[in-house]
Amino acid sequence: MLARSVENIFWLGRYLERLDDTARLVNATSHLLIDSHKDTEFGWPVLLEVMGQDSAKVLASYGLEHQNRQQLAQIEQAVMQHLISNIDSPVSIRNACSQLRYNARTIRQLLPRDMWEELNKLDSFVQQQCVETVSRQQRYQLMTEISRRCQMVIGTLDSVMLRGDAFDLFTIGRHLERADMVTRIMDVMVLQTLQPTQLKRPRFRWISILNALGGAESYQYYIANNLAGAAADAIDYLLCYADFPRSVSYCLHRIAASGKALPNSPAILQQVHQLQHLITEQAVTELSTVQLHQLIDQIQTGIIDLHQVLVDIATAEQQPLTA
Amino acid sequence: MSLENFTGGRYPLLKNCFDELVATDGSARPPASAIARFIAKHGDLELCKRQLQLNQTISDMGVCFTLYADGANIDRAWPLDVIPRTIPSSEWQRTSAGLKQRLAALNLFIDDLYNEQKILKQGIVPAELILDSKNFLAPCQGVSPIHGVWANICGTDLVRDEHGQFLVLEDNLRVPSGVSYMLENRTVMKRVFPELFADSTIVPVDDYPAQLWQMLASLSPRGEHVPPCIVVLTPGIYNSAYFEHSFLAQQMGVELAENHDLFVEDDRVWLKTLRGKRQVDVIYRRIDDIFIDPQAFRPDSVLGIPGLIAVWRKGLVAIANAPGSGVADDKVIYSFVPKIIQYYLGEEPLLQNVETYLCQDPLQRSFVLANLDKLVVKPANESGGYGILIGPRASQSERDEMAMAIKANPRNFIAQPTLNLSTAPTLCEGMLEPRHLDLRPFILQGADLYCSTGGLSRVALTRGSLVVNSSQGGGSKDTWIINDEG
Repeated sequence: MLARSVENIFWLGRYLERLDDTARLVNATSHLLIDSHKDTEFGWPVLLEVMGQDSAKVLASYGLEHQNRQQLAQIEQAVMQHLISNIDSPVSIRNACSQLRYNARTIRQLLPRDMWEELNKLDSFVQQQCVETVSRQQRYQLMTEISRRCQMVIGTLDSVMLRGDAFDLFTIGRHLERADMVTRIMDVMVLQTLQPTQLKRPRFRWISILNALGGAESYQYYIANNLAGAAADAIDYLLCYADFPRSVSYCLHRIAASGKALPNSPAILQQVHQLQHLITEQAVTELSTVQLHQLIDQIQTGIIDLHQVLVDIATAEQQPLTA
Repeated sequence: MSLENFTGGRYPLLKNCFDELVATDGSARPPASAIARFIAKHGDLELCKRQLQLNQTISDMGVCFTLYADGANIDRAWPLDVIPRTIPSSEWQRTSAGLKQRLAALNLFIDDLYNEQKILKQGIVPAELILDSKNFLAPCQGVSPIHGVWANICGTDLVRDEHGQFLVLEDNLRVPSGVSYMLENRTVMKRVFPELFADSTIVPVDDYPAQLWQMLASLSPRGEHVPPCIVVLTPGIYNSAYFEHSFLAQQMGVELAENHDLFVEDDRVWLKTLRGKRQVDVIYRRIDDIFIDPQAFRPDSVLGIPGLIAVWRKGLVAIANAPGSGVADDKVIYSFVPKIIQYYLGEEPLLQNVETYLCQDPLQRSFVLANLDKLVVKPANESGGYGILIGPRASQSERDEMAMAIKANPRNFIAQPTLNLSTAPTLCEGMLEPRHLDLRPFILQGADLYCSTGGLSRVALTRGSLVVNSSQGGGSKDTWIINDEG
C-alpha cells in the first residue's frame, strides 16, 4: 500500500469506532438520566466533557447557561445536537461519519467493494436521519441503528478484506479509539463523581457505563465468578480484564498483535508495552482516587504517543522494497 | 404477447430520427422485445418504481461524479435511465471491428508522426497541420513505445444517423473517461431488473478491468517474467473523474497514485509504499500529458513528476496513453482518418465519419460562414462538449460571435451538418419519451486489440437537446448487446 494511505486507513478505523462508541454512549447515558433522581450530580453536560469538550463553552454557543436548572430540557436538546446532528461540531456523529467517508473515498482502491457500499449506506442514513428534531423516543432507535450499521461495515470488512498492512492498520485504529474512549468515559464519569480525598475508593458498580460499553452481563459474570478477587470493581474490569473486548487491556493486546507484522514494529510494540506496564505494575484496586486519575492521564498520553508512532511509520526513509 | 405497439402506441417517435428500440411502425425492434414485454406486462407505474429503486441502488453503491460548479459538494449521484439501449450482437461485431481498425491505424499514424513522418512527406496529411499543432509534442520525437502503440486506451464517440448507421463523431485519445459508469450501470441494472437478464441473452461487460490490466501489463518494460507494478495516476480526490480513477484501481487491484507518491531516481520511476520504494513499470495516467512532467512540458505544473519523460524516453517506464497521443485527437485530423486507414492498412474504413468542413480551407470556410444556421461548429481541441455552436438552435448574436472566432483562427474550427441523432425511450416524469443519445465504446491496444462490449450510452435528458455530456445535464443508459446469432 501507499505510504500516504497509512493515515487514512488508520483514521478510517478510528472514526468507525468513534461513531459506534458515541451512539452507545448517548443511549446508555439517556437511560441513566431517565433512571436517576433529581439530586444526582450527573447531568447532560458531562457527556460533552467525555467527548473532550468544554461544556460551559459549548452550551454558551447554544445560548445556554451551564448550571441553570431551569434550562434542563434545552440543555439536553443542545447536548444532543452537539453530539448527534450538528455537522460543525467536531464530536458529532454526523461529523464523524463525514470524516469516515472522506477517508474511505481517499483510499477506495484498498477497500472491498462490499464495504464501500455499506459505508455509503451508513453515511446516507446518518446524514438523512441525524437531524435536530430527533425526539428522545426516536433517539434510542436511531442510535441503535447507527451501531448496527457500523457493525455491518466491520463485519463486511472482516469477512472479505485481504489480511495485510491495511487491515492491520484499520484494526489498530479501531482499538486505539476504543481504548481512548473507555479511558475518557472512566475519567469523566467515574472519577469525577468520587470524593477526591478518599484513599480507598468505594466499591461501585455503574451499570449504565457498562451498558454503554456492552459489558453489563459479562461484568456480572466476572464478579460472580470472583475472577479478580474480592476487591475487584468496574474500574479493574474496564482497565485490566483482558477477556472483555472493550477493556483497555484487550485493546492493547489487539494493537500489539496487529502491529507485530507492520514495518517499524519494534517502535509500536515498545509503546504498547509501556502502556501495558502502566496498568499491570501495581494492582489497580490498591490505588487511591488521585492515583487512579493520574494513571488514566498517563494512559491517555500514551495513547497519543502511540498514535504518532503509527502515523510516522509511513514517513520513514524510502528504502528499496524487499519481498 | 403482441409487440406491435411499443407501450401501447403511446410512444411519440420523432420524425427523421432512428429510434434504438422502436421501429418506424411503432413495434419493438427484435433486441428490445424482452423490454417491450416487460412494459406491456407491468405498466409505466412499475417503471417508475424501478427507477426509484435504481436511484437508491446508485446512492448505496456510491456511484457518483464531481461537478466543479458544485463547490463543496464533491459527489453528485450518477444519472441512469431505467430503460436500457439495445444493439444486436451481429451489428456490434461489425462495429467493434471498425473501431479496432480505426485505433490500429491511428496508432500507426502517431508513431509515424513522431518518427519518419512518411505520411507528411507524401502529402497525404498536410505537414503544417501537424507541425504547427500544439498537440505535437517535440519531446516525443524519436520515441517508439512498446508494440509501436501510443494511444492504448481510446474512447470513440459514435452516433447513429437517421438511417440507423453508426458514424464516428470523435476519437478520444488523451484520457477518455466513462468506462466505470458503463460497468456500474450494468451492476445496477442487474439488481433492478433481474427478470430481464433471465429473459434475454445480454452479453456481459465485466471483463473490461481484467482486459485493461492485461493490456497495461503487456506494456511493462521488464517483460512478462517480472510481475509488473502498475499504477493509476490521478490528479487527486477533487478531480471530476476521481470516482472512475479509484474504481479502476480497485477493480484492477493496483495502486492509485498521486504525483507526490511517485519519484524519479537512478533512471527509474518509484512508488512510495509503506514498505519502501517500489519500481513502477506502467503508469496509467489520468492527467493531461502536458502536466505530467514539469521538466519536459509545462514548468508550472504542480501535478507532474519531475524527470518522468526522460525515463519514458529511455523505455524504462511505460505511460498509457503515451504523451503526445493527443496529436491525432484533433477534430481537423479527424477528417483525415479515412485516408489514414487506407494509407497504413490498405483497407477501406469499416466505420464512416460524419461529413466535416475544415474552416482552414478557404472554400470550405466560406461555405461554413454562409451556412452557420444549419451547421454545428466545433473547436478543434476541446472536450466535454464545451465551445460548440449548434447553428439551428443558436441566436443570431451567438452565430455572429462564432463567425468572428472562425475568421480570427480558422485552423481551430471545423463544422458538421446538424445530425438527427438517434433516440431511445427514456423515462421523463413518468412517461416514456424519445431522447437523443450517443455511444462511447472503449478500445484497448497493447500487445492485442480489444473492444468493450457496447459502451457507455449517454442521453440528453432535455427534450430536443443534443448535448449528452454529464457535465451539462446529460444522463446515461445501460447498453445491452443482445445475442442474435443463436
